[in-house]
Amino acid sequence: MKNQFPFGLILLGVLIAIGAYFYSISLLTSFLWFTGIIFGFILQKSRFCFTASMRDLYLTRRATVFKALLVALALTTLGITTIKYFYFLNGQTIPRKSFVLPVSLATAIGGFLFGIVMVIAGGCASGTLMRVGEGHLMQAVTLVFIIIGSALGSHDYGFWYKNFISKGKTIFLPDQFGWLGALILQLALLFILFKLASYWENRGDEE
Amino acid sequence: MKLYDIKGLKKWLKNPWSYLTGAVLLSIFQTITFAVTGEPLGITRAFTNWAGWILGFLGASPGTWYYFNMEEVHSSFSAGLLMDNSSIRVIGIIIGACLASLLASEFRIRKIKSKKQIVGAVLGGILMGYGSRVANGCNIGAFYGGIASLSLSGWIFGIFLFLGAVIGSILLVRYLI
Repeated sequence: MKNQFPFGLILLGVLIAIGAYFYSISLLTSFLWFTGIIFGFILQKSRFCFTASMRDLYLTRRATVFKALLVALALTTLGITTIKYFYFLNGQTIPRKSFVLPVSLATAIGGFLFGIVMVIAGGCASGTLMRVGEGHLMQAVTLVFIIIGSALGSHDYGFWYKNFISKGKTIFLPDQFGWLGALILQLALLFILFKLASYWENRGDEE
Repeated sequence: MKLYDIKGLKKWLKNPWSYLTGAVLLSIFQTITFAVTGEPLGITRAFTNWAGWILGFLGASPGTWYYFNMEEVHSSFSAGLLMDNSSIRVIGIIIGACLASLLASEFRIRKIKSKKQIVGAVLGGILMGYGSRVANGCNIGAFYGGIASLSLSGWIFGIFLFLGAVIGSILLVRYLI
């Protein structure tokens, strides 16, 4: 395998230069640029794949990726909730708008569709981006069609919003169980899933 | 390769990392992202913006659609590529993966191998794009971000994601392998 390390260094230099340009626009822009690069880097090196986590669990009874996913969920929950709690203590508005979404048929259908398709396509959204970066032409095709699908989805979004999403209930767990209660409940649930996954994997080994 | 014999370089740049390492690092950067931007990482917003710009370029008027007029979408959509922060981050993710593979000398243009896979990519891509828009996010946003935000929507999305993955796995084995 020929040595690509020098190219990597050159690319790194270019990326830092671009980042400096973005910094001149705003700190936030350069922050998003560099965190994107870091995320892509982490995804590629660890081959973290949501698709593999679920597919392997079912098809080959391998729970390795799934358990790592649970760890990521638990740690990120802890990190984000701690920050939210500090906002709460200071009486400021808690930033939580983005992914605290209404629960409706749209959530279920969207998730189900995404699940089927991410396995068939060989990767989820982040996995696709990662593989495009590695040079996979197939995932470049997938990405093009994800954009097309997004166009169709954006076009229909009004329909989904009016008929389902706007009628859904948004449930932020701390509203129901309190901050500590919700945190403990979620971490406990993740822990139980972790144990179940291990059990499922071991049972598969025994057979 | 002599270069990779340098201590540290081999471990962190050449060799793959464990899933657990990935999980911990992703969590750290998700938390930092949240601290700075007020929300976890999301990637589908960029896709819809790209779709909207391309459609606009081709003569359609997505600006009239409900979606692009929503408060949280409108500002980034109107801003254009260089000024849309979410797009910049998504492009960063692709390039970050490219950087990682180059530094490990693993970058390779991998050609498309079978026609069946193309069907999977086309159909899969369209439905992934559609599904992620309807659910307001994908595996990273609606699922990972949703659960980490202690939102029930994340769990519901996750349960159906898993059910879908099971069906997808069955279909994969039956028709595509």
